[in-house]
Amino acid sequence: MVDKAESKKKKKSGIFGFFKDLTYGMATHGMARQALKTRSSMEHLFILITMGDMLGVPILPPYYSLRLLPYVVPQITTWKRRMLREKDLMDSMF
Amino acid sequence: MNSLVVLLFWAIIVGLGYFVYSKWVNQNIFEADPNRATPAKMYLDGVDYMPANKTVLFGFQLNSIAGAAPIIGPIIALQWGWLPAVLWLGFGVLLIGWVQDYSICMVSVKNDGDTLGALSYKLISPRSRAILLAFIYFYLLLLATAFGDVISKGLSGNAALPLPMLVAVGTAFLVGHLIYRSRVNILLTTLVAIVLIFGGIALGNYLPIRASYNVMLVALCIFAYFGATLPVWQFIQPYNYASVYVTYFGIITGIIGVLISAKPMTLPAVGSFNIGLGPLWPMMFVTIACGAISGWHSLVSSIGTSRQIENELDVRPVTSGAMFAEFTISVIAVIVCATAFTSNADYLAQLKAAGPVAIFTTGLGGAITSLGFPATFAQSVGGAMILILALTTINLVFRFMKVATVELLGGKVPLARNQHVAVLIAVIITFFLIKTGYWLYIWVLFGGANQLMASLALLLVTLYLASTAKNYRFILYPMFFMYISTVAAIFYTAFFKLLPPVFSGQLTGVKTVGHVLSATFGVLLIVLALILAYDGYQAFKKYRAANAALRLAEAGKTH
Repeated sequence: MVDKAESKKKKKSGIFGFFKDLTYGMATHGMARQALKTRSSMEHLFILITMGDMLGVPILPPYYSLRLLPYVVPQITTWKRRMLREKDLMDSMF
Repeated sequence: MNSLVVLLFWAIIVGLGYFVYSKWVNQNIFEADPNRATPAKMYLDGVDYMPANKTVLFGFQLNSIAGAAPIIGPIIALQWGWLPAVLWLGFGVLLIGWVQDYSICMVSVKNDGDTLGALSYKLISPRSRAILLAFIYFYLLLLATAFGDVISKGLSGNAALPLPMLVAVGTAFLVGHLIYRSRVNILLTTLVAIVLIFGGIALGNYLPIRASYNVMLVALCIFAYFGATLPVWQFIQPYNYASVYVTYFGIITGIIGVLISAKPMTLPAVGSFNIGLGPLWPMMFVTIACGAISGWHSLVSSIGTSRQIENELDVRPVTSGAMFAEFTISVIAVIVCATAFTSNADYLAQLKAAGPVAIFTTGLGGAITSLGFPATFAQSVGGAMILILALTTINLVFRFMKVATVELLGGKVPLARNQHVAVLIAVIITFFLIKTGYWLYIWVLFGGANQLMASLALLLVTLYLASTAKNYRFILYPMFFMYISTVAAIFYTAFFKLLPPVFSGQLTGVKTVGHVLSATFGVLLIVLALILAYDGYQAFKKYRAANAALRLAEAGKTH
């Protein structure tokens, strides 16, 4: 009995979830992707200003750069992927 | 014939295409494997390569592929009769349309999420990437021209529509401000946007704005300029967000209206074989692109979607599912328009006077009225829906043309690197083409460019399958059909429609330049397509020879 009720609830939330995801995909997913692109541009700048300290060449006063480094290091893997990937004009379309 | 019979045909095509054919291709040709890592997982970079849920991606894909073209194309093609239009839509999507969307996405997924340009470079030849970019630029230019004309004609032909459009633009700025600056709750923002836009639609009939075609065209150019230069968060994104709800409402009420009213198809099933645009073959096969098959989808599938696919099994529901959904929109457009006019003469007179927007306004308006909405409001919803969709495409096109102009000209002309100059170049060429060209021929050229891109996508898939020694025939024959039909249609339009009035002296002044320029674009597209076909054939021969050598080597090992 409980199983039946649970599966009915799950099914209901499934249909609701479907329309929720569909509407999100149609209306908001593009906005979310654009926000991620903006964030990645900011991260690129962030990495640029701390690059010297990462390489051992202090450019900014080292105290501030060293305080920033822990926030930058986790981004390095994805940053490398973005920077090293070959891009063409079409990448800017969607 | 009752319109429900057409819906029965729709159901058969979707059933066969989605549940039988696409399932077979997915399992037997591309051998989709849920355990194989997709580019979204392998190269996760937090931006372009990001796995997404398949329902979200389906919505994203549908929103990216379905603009105004799946509605406008079939409306124009009704001149040949609704039966040829429905048959091409049905068999086009069943045998070619979904195949293209699905397979180019799958090829991209299996090639590290490569774009169409990168795939051309890899599978055809290095120069094909540059050719493809030039090709896309002309395609976008023709797209902007075709849509620009339709929008200007639609706004100047119906005084109830400019106000809803102005309200929609104002709402977009407001939504952008509420979401990104004031940080207002998204649900409240959505509610405000819906109330404002539908309020604007309702008020349009009481506060009509009458303006000439030229005024509307200039207003559109200004809109395009700001759309391409303002920050995306300020205008384009909130505009797209707010406009989705009008499209949602239009499609859902349209479908329910068609089902409830079950009207008979009043326009002739088969019209004349040879209309003003030209003969049914090849012209209808480029006039109706979206809804049956469209090259635009190959760009979306290979650039946007393939990098977000979480699992290879998701490719089929996302890409072919969205294609069949777009086919549904086209079928509804055909039904509402073919049931709305009592005679063919009425339909032709309205098409000539006010363009496809007026036809759809009457058609969808009729369907929505059967749900109990007032006729004036229902018609305004139809008009607003198609115009909003067309303006969404205009936004995207000019934005990309800005980037393309900077890339293509920026190296040689430093001034072109300025974004305002780059947009103005695109706007001025589009304005000139709209003012001097004949919109139906421009529509055919745009459709031709679109279908040639589809042929190229099919060629890329053929080459991929040939290079991996898989069965490519199911895609080879549709590719031949599309390629031959499209080149023939562009050739016919350029040499039998655009140039004869120039040489016979029927046209004077700038009109001559417009026709010659449009014909030149057509010829250029054919030349680019022929170069790609030659390179594609050379690559095909290379892959076939490599496969034959491999087979020989394997036979040698066995003996």
